[in-house]
Amino acid sequence: MNKNYLFLAILMIILAGGLLILPERTNYTQINPEDLLWDIIQPSRYVTTDQVAKMLIEQDPTLELIDVRCAKEYNKFALPNAINIPLDSILSPNYSDYLGIEDMNAVFYCNDDILADQAWVIAKRMDISRIYIMKGGLNCWIKTIIQPTPPPETASGDEFDQYDFRKGASMYFTGASISAPKSDSKSQVTIKRKKKTTATAGGC
Amino acid sequence: MKNNSNITKGPRYINPYFGGVLLGLLLLATFYIAGRGLSASGAAKLSVVTVVDKIAPAHAEGNAYYDKFIPTDGSSPLFNWLIFGAIGTFFGGMLSGGIYGRLKKLRIEHSPNITGKTRMIAAVVGGMLFGIGSQFGRGCSSGAALSGTAALSFGGLLVMAFMFGIGYVFAYFFRKLWI
Amino acid sequence: MGPLIPQGIITGQWDFVIALLIGTAFGFILESSGFSSSRNIAGVFYGYNFVVLRVFFTAMIVAMVGLLYFNYLGWIEMDMVFVLPTYLAPMILGGFIMGLGFVIGGFCPGTSYTACAIGKLDGFAFLGGFIIGVFIFAEAFPLFENFYYSGYMGNITIGEVFSISNELVTFIFVIVAIVAFYVTWLIEKKVRKNRTESKFE
Repeated sequence: MNKNYLFLAILMIILAGGLLILPERTNYTQINPEDLLWDIIQPSRYVTTDQVAKMLIEQDPTLELIDVRCAKEYNKFALPNAINIPLDSILSPNYSDYLGIEDMNAVFYCNDDILADQAWVIAKRMDISRIYIMKGGLNCWIKTIIQPTPPPETASGDEFDQYDFRKGASMYFTGASISAPKSDSKSQVTIKRKKKTTATAGGC
Repeated sequence: MKNNSNITKGPRYINPYFGGVLLGLLLLATFYIAGRGLSASGAAKLSVVTVVDKIAPAHAEGNAYYDKFIPTDGSSPLFNWLIFGAIGTFFGGMLSGGIYGRLKKLRIEHSPNITGKTRMIAAVVGGMLFGIGSQFGRGCSSGAALSGTAALSFGGLLVMAFMFGIGYVFAYFFRKLWI
Repeated sequence: MGPLIPQGIITGQWDFVIALLIGTAFGFILESSGFSSSRNIAGVFYGYNFVVLRVFFTAMIVAMVGLLYFNYLGWIEMDMVFVLPTYLAPMILGGFIMGLGFVIGGFCPGTSYTACAIGKLDGFAFLGGFIIGVFIFAEAFPLFENFYYSGYMGNITIGEVFSISNELVTFIFVIVAIVAFYVTWLIEKKVRKNRTESKFE
């Protein structure tokens, strides 16, 4: 037998073996840093608790709430129809198809802004668009929506309108959570996972 | 003496492993460019569809199988990647045959133990079986077995394993055709 | 980056030119490896000429390893590469019928094109038979339409079926191929002793 064949066989085994010992692939698609910085300073990446409440009440189908706290906290209390993606597993392939769904607005929230902000930056760097942060997080949610404080009597009409809306929303959310058990509201998650990228059809 | 002339006069083919590496690189390039592998049988299938569609359009539309391959925008099924690939395959074969001196007048190649007529009948029967089988298998040896398996498709592996496996099982019964 | 055409990097009529070029290279490789001769091809079943197995397996492992490296380096998006969907029972039947056709006819469609190209009438006969076969299949299609679509498993990969990584699958293929090359080399040496001729034009 030719020596060259032996050499080629060994080369092929080494190449194939190389695939086995290569570390996990880490080259995610990223947007370039200038764009990231530009987007970070835009106030439009925040949505207020009022906006979220309104979308929830109107059952806006494009809203996708993502709870980035750990599962324990999520089970204790979460916004209706929110999905739990803990911050440390946001890059895990199990959740990758919840992010970047076409025509969906993903809103991250946590107790305050910190975790949600981190999640937002990670998602942004993966070049996912239409992502937002709920300003103030759940603390702000409780303060403004669940237990709204009446504005001073000297406040403008707009503020009173807002207060009325919040009172209504408070009744809507607290009432709903009493009449319907929480486990129920969680099983109602109707987020459709995004379809895998379509490959070209048909060979022979 | 006779042996010697045999070696020099024997068919000039490239080293099979070299051919294999070339074919593998071509397949890789095809995946890189087109996102799918090589294919041969698709062109013949589309030709059948086109002819039937031309002769009996109503019949072709009524048949779920033909209908699958007739473009909805009214263009010809022949205006397709597969057809151009097949035309290329034909010319490539001609080119290689010309370079290596195999491009000759029409002839039938057969084992000395059988007549040319037997060989022709066997070729038609084999072709027919391949025609039916490749539709069930979603591709022939290049589309399903080679390209499918190279893209790690389980179906491609199945087709390849059964194609060669059954070939060996029945090889004994058809040995007269070849040896 | 890749694949170029599904990503829209190459568009328009260019893809037909590329198809023509790829097809030409395909035909050239098949013919120059000796696939225009049915007696060479059938040698794989009788042990006197294993050129089919050598070319086929070499091409397969080269493409497999290459694809996985391309994927690793981010040059090709594996999600967009066409993975042939699996239909369990129909594909087994298809492989069965094709195997029978292979050993009787001695060609497969791709090789029959090249056989036609250098003027072999049995190549034309095979191609004619192939077209008749497709016609029979299509005409009889309503009879087994349900079977044709049965056993659908999706665009499933070998690794997913056996729940191992596709890198390991590729490694196993490489090992199997190299063992097969060695074993068939031994067989071929033995069988050729009793034959006057084992390579055909």
